[in-house]
Amino acid sequence: MHTYELDEQKVFNSGHNACPGCGEALAVRYVLNTMGPNTIGVIPPSCIAIISGPQPYSSMRIPVYQTTLEASAASAAGISRALKRQGKHDVNVLALAGDGGTYDIGFQALSGAAERNEDMVYVCLDNEGYMNTGAQKSSSTPYLAVTSSTPGGKPSDKKDIAEIMAAHRIPYVATATVGYPDDLARKVAKARDMKGMRFIVVLTPCLDGWGVADDGAVRVSRLAVDTGFFPLYEVEDGERYTINHGPKGIPVERYLEQQKRYRHLDEDQVKEIQAGVDHRWSLLQARVESMAGQARIR
Amino acid sequence: MSATVATPRRSPPANQAPAPGDLRLLLSGNHAVSYGAMRARPEVVPIYPITPQTPIAEKISDLQLAGDFDVDLMTAESEHSAMSACITASLTGVRVFTATASQGLFLMHEMLHYASGARAPIVMVNVNRTIGSPWGFWPDQTDSLAQRDTGWIQYYTENGQESLDTVIQAFKVAEEVLLPAMVVHEAFYVSHALEPVTVPSQERVDAYLPRFDPPHKLDTEIGESWGNVVNQDMFYRHRKDLGAAMNQVLEASVRADADYKDAMGRGYGILEKYRTEDADMLIVAFGAMVGSARVAVDMLRAAGKAVGLLKIKLFRPFPVEAVRAAVAGVPRLVVMERNFSPGGGGVLHQELKAALYGMPDPPAVHGYLAGVGGVNVSPKKIVELAEKALTDEPVPDSVWQR
Amino acid sequence: MSEVTRRPATGPAAASPGEVPTIWTTGWTDIFNTGTWRAATPIHEWRSSPCHTDCPIGNTIPGWIANIREGAYQEAWLALVETNPFPAVTGRVCHHPCEGHCNREVIETVVGINGLEHFLGDRALEEGWALPAPVGSQGKRVAVVGGGPAGLSCAYHLRRLGYDVTVFEARDELGGLLRYGIPEYRLAAGVVDAEIARLLDLGIEVRLGAPVADAAELEALEAEYDAVFLGVGAQQAKMLAHLEDGAGAGRVLDGLEYLRRCTEGVARDLGERMTVIGGGSAAMDVARSARRLGHTVSVVALESRATMPAQPEEIEQALEEGVALFDGAMVAAVEAGADGGLMLNCVKVTLDLGAPAGELRPVPVEGGEFALAADVIVTAIGQDPDLAAFGDGLAVERALLLTEPTTLATSRAGVFAGGDVASVDRFVSEAIGAGRRAAYSIAEYLNHPDACIPERPKLEDSVNRTEVNPFYFETTERRERVVAPAAERLTGFDETISAYSTEDATAEAGRCMSCGFCVQCDNCFVFCPDMAVQKDASAAGAESAAPSASEGAPATAPPAGVRVTAAVPCVGAPPDSGPFYFVLDQYCKGCGLCVTECPRGAVRLEQVNL
Ligand SMILES: Cc1cc2nc3c(=O)[nH]c(=O)nc-3n(C[C@H](O)[C@H](O)[C@H](O)COP(=O)(O)OP(=O)(O)OC[C@H]3O[C@@H](n4cnc5c(N)ncnc54)[C@H](O)[C@@H]3O)c2cc1C
Ligand SMILES: Cc1ncc(C[n+]2csc(CCOP(=O)(O)OP(=O)(O)O)c2C)c(N)n1
Ligand code: SF4
Ligand code: SF4
Ligand code: SF4
Ligand SMILES: [Mg+2]
Repeated sequence: MHTYELDEQKVFNSGHNACPGCGEALAVRYVLNTMGPNTIGVIPPSCIAIISGPQPYSSMRIPVYQTTLEASAASAAGISRALKRQGKHDVNVLALAGDGGTYDIGFQALSGAAERNEDMVYVCLDNEGYMNTGAQKSSSTPYLAVTSSTPGGKPSDKKDIAEIMAAHRIPYVATATVGYPDDLARKVAKARDMKGMRFIVVLTPCLDGWGVADDGAVRVSRLAVDTGFFPLYEVEDGERYTINHGPKGIPVERYLEQQKRYRHLDEDQVKEIQAGVDHRWSLLQARVESMAGQARIR
Repeated sequence: MSATVATPRRSPPANQAPAPGDLRLLLSGNHAVSYGAMRARPEVVPIYPITPQTPIAEKISDLQLAGDFDVDLMTAESEHSAMSACITASLTGVRVFTATASQGLFLMHEMLHYASGARAPIVMVNVNRTIGSPWGFWPDQTDSLAQRDTGWIQYYTENGQESLDTVIQAFKVAEEVLLPAMVVHEAFYVSHALEPVTVPSQERVDAYLPRFDPPHKLDTEIGESWGNVVNQDMFYRHRKDLGAAMNQVLEASVRADADYKDAMGRGYGILEKYRTEDADMLIVAFGAMVGSARVAVDMLRAAGKAVGLLKIKLFRPFPVEAVRAAVAGVPRLVVMERNFSPGGGGVLHQELKAALYGMPDPPAVHGYLAGVGGVNVSPKKIVELAEKALTDEPVPDSVWQR
Repeated sequence: MSEVTRRPATGPAAASPGEVPTIWTTGWTDIFNTGTWRAATPIHEWRSSPCHTDCPIGNTIPGWIANIREGAYQEAWLALVETNPFPAVTGRVCHHPCEGHCNREVIETVVGINGLEHFLGDRALEEGWALPAPVGSQGKRVAVVGGGPAGLSCAYHLRRLGYDVTVFEARDELGGLLRYGIPEYRLAAGVVDAEIARLLDLGIEVRLGAPVADAAELEALEAEYDAVFLGVGAQQAKMLAHLEDGAGAGRVLDGLEYLRRCTEGVARDLGERMTVIGGGSAAMDVARSARRLGHTVSVVALESRATMPAQPEEIEQALEEGVALFDGAMVAAVEAGADGGLMLNCVKVTLDLGAPAGELRPVPVEGGEFALAADVIVTAIGQDPDLAAFGDGLAVERALLLTEPTTLATSRAGVFAGGDVASVDRFVSEAIGAGRRAAYSIAEYLNHPDACIPERPKLEDSVNRTEVNPFYFETTERRERVVAPAAERLTGFDETISAYSTEDATAEAGRCMSCGFCVQCDNCFVFCPDMAVQKDASAAGAESAAPSASEGAPATAPPAGVRVTAAVPCVGAPPDSGPFYFVLDQYCKGCGLCVTECPRGAVRLEQVNL
């Protein structure tokens, strides 16, 4: 029997205005409560910016600065550098950005911060679209998913941000999701206790944007993992790969059928998506194998 | 208002003997800025290179490497990120400096608003450079003037010494009113021109500029957050507060300059009147043009023409009252400026007319677009233009002159 | 979770008095009332698991299985004997309907509940654990007539409720069919002795060889005692008259009689070949006992093998032991055989589906005739209670004492009945359950201050398969008890099935999903995006129950209260380790995540009435 043991600090507050059952709010709960109160946050425009509270109230018992959509990593870098100058080496800096603010418009700042190995934990709350502005596509939106800007289904693939970040050879990259809260919390804790640039992409189902039932965030995110659509893994220093949870032999259709954004798919399209999932999974496994046992070259 | 106007003098105090501990160095305008920044002791300098700002960044790097400047130099991957980092570092409670020019400033534009909105007292030097396209590297003030609505204090300086001194003063004012400040000088004419510069001693600057310790900051011991969504009423009040802070700048700048003068022996005022006594006309200028205009005024006076000079140093907030006092009784003004707002004309020309509107017996105002794109405007040329202005009837629009 | 508090900063950003500052936050969102968004409310409650629902005794199965999982065996056993004083007996012979709808089937297969009960029963006997002592004295006396499982169960619960109990047993020993019916190889006499002895240690008076033989004696009991329970069982074997005529005369025996003789060791000289008639447990017991005593045995049953009332494993083992089964058949007539034995004329039959419930109407299959040779016929086709002795004073229906279904009251005030005498559900657990219910009913009748009658939950209200979350359970093979090989079994009357090892028991207990029975896994708490699920302060220990709101904010809503469904909310109720979680009305948005992610259906979503 499975039980979760999360060592939570009470940083994220009730009374926030996330939608009922919001996967992102759940992710933020685990992230903030694991990071702990000795943390300063940065948030760009996104759903989480709304969830963080209307002035003069905050849902987060840590100082948070709301920056612009493209600047999260740079803003976080400013804080972490200032903290070092103040001798506050133990204060964590946390960026909490959406996929739009990470994969797209904020990517340059992110890549720059990664290259400089800025000292921060950057968490991308990946709900696979610009949800705050009405569920338009982002470069994280998966192939064929319907969004308000791709009403016929997105014609291109989801960008593989974890691999891109791993290629920056930063100390830590991980994928996580709310369906595996212990895995998520462990990764956040691990990232927190490291130095330099740490990046975690958290798949956070958007109930409205994906067309998922109010009680479905956990189930759906779990299916994303269990079908191999979104494997959970970590990469240290860009080369040491560890797969935490991979596909469990469940067809991807089980995942797709939970979501209205895939309702239009025909049989062939489902097969195509399945083939893509299988292919990416084999690539990931190949990468794990090819990287296994390699010494770190700096 | 007299304190707002500096004592007229011919030129910067080039031959002034250094006070004990001060350095006397031959420096370009940009390097002077680097020294000024060093003395202000910012903790973090996020910066991104762009011609003609690069010598500022390079000199800071050199000073840092030499161990003279203890600073965290963040080599950002863009000006947008540099400014983003400036804002948060400042909000975390440390002093922040940066520098940029033209395209870089434009890339920062969004963040400039965030900086003033966040009331982050960052000091930035902008080296005026033509804006693309087409691509060019010439002095032109349009880049910084296009940022006049961003909520930044703007100072325009005419040489390296002034830039150095103004950087230090700008911190003092910015940190008092909690607004960011831009110190602007022009490409090449100022940025790369070598002049002997006095670098005040660290002790004197430290005495002048205390440690930055804002009451509100991103601090886990305090726990306050900044930037959560506001309602209409809060936004209205927030902007109003920002305006009030801007208004405070006038007085704070005058005070900061006077204190600086007491401490360092140099002061500039927020504007300067040069040989304005009994003038039939004042040349109104800012930036590098001021130096040439000063020579031109000497030439005009020598030729028996009653022409003086009004230098605008503080451009944001625009010192309306001080300007009105300075031009009272003068029948005619001619603005000579190196910038152009298409559809509007010279920005100073417009600002000046707006400032004088409703003034009893206002002077007639010429607006000359002289030197746009960095075209050389020599003292001789200024004399020529002034003579033309003395006889021509002013027209509402700015007039291209070369 | 520890609360983070901060010092508020002061400075120029502060707004003028009465105005909200436009920059820098001053407090936290927990002053907001997001609970108003809610259209449904999650409720934590102890809900009946199907196993509990199906258990005739009302054992709180997931509760004591949880104790086994934790290795707390005595605790587990104490939880079990709250309802069932005979776990070593039922662990061996119960037909375990509890496994019938076990939700574990969604993962792979049902939990070995009966095996776990067996394990606990034996562990208690090995360790010599005592039953919990009675709570106080009610100063009243109850007579229990019949010392079988029904009577003894009733006596036990009455004693624990504080009554003085006297058991009147016709025979020389207690146990009823446990001793005289069920053969030793399934239920050793030592086990029965030990569980009865332990029960009597609570201070129950026993009169052996003391039948309540007639109406007068019953009246005397009614006069002397405050209440009477009748658990006299069904002792009269049903016979098949057409077999006993002619050739069959003297060679037909009833099953109970045969088994009684077996227990007394005097069953041998009946001739070599035996035909047993009947398809239930008793028939199997007769047949298998006879095999152990060297008979050649055939069984003729009306039902097909699949529908025979005997347990499938009993049939299986009987066949392994060499019993020849003729299912879907009947003995039409008996003739004298050529070898001095009997010739049984048999015919294949089908059962008329239109027959009234409980009645078997065989229809011979044409051409299905066959013959069997036998020396002796044993009929095991059921028993009826012997009600004649009690006269007309007690209402009878279809050969059973008529009782009110909930209270088990007979038609005579103060007289209650249960077990085989009043029910066609002829199972040990049914008898024990009836004894238990009757005890609470008697307590209520005698105005016990806290007693009430345990209700039997309904299957449709129990946690069903869609309400458990399979994600949380890994496929794990069911552990089976070891059964001795047939050859070994046939050597005597030793028990054939061994209890789980501790390791097996722990593993098997680990398979139970604890349906409807909160195990404090924290899932509901962990998965609430609004931190609206809280743990009760008293249960959780040091931590505070409600989050203290930020300064100046109104206190958060008080606990919405824990509602516990009335499975048995009275004396004799299961120890309620129950849900110590509650939902903060102020914050819960009613998303239902806590409900869906409760692995075991212990949280329910109730629509809010607006
Ligand atoms: C061969 C056989 C095998 C069985 N196997 C199983 C099995 O494997 N699993 C299962 O669950 N069930 C089994 N059963 C059924 C089960 O044994 C009974 O349903 C159960 O024992 C009934 O309990 P009871 O207390 O009502 O009656 P009983 O067990 O019959 O006990 C009644 C007691 O009352 C005593 N008594 C009777 N009349 C009087 C009187 N007038 N005064 C005083 N005392 C009296 C009797 O001597 C007896 O001790 C089997 C039954 C038989 C016959
Ligand atoms: C420069 C800029 N462009 C556009 C926007 C409008 N905008 C606000 S939030 C948002 C979507 C962000 O999407 P994502 O980062 O995925 O976060 P989500 O809303 O999905 O949580 C956009 C486009 C903006 N705030 N700034
Ligand atoms: S899984 Fe456990 S609680 Fe659920 S029905 Fe089976 S034995 Fe009972
Ligand atoms: S998960 Fe939280 S918000 Fe959702 S129904 Fe349960 S208690 Fe309410
Ligand atoms: S989720 Fe776990 S803790 Fe919550 S009610 Fe269900 S069993 Fe109990
Ligand atoms: Mg998004």
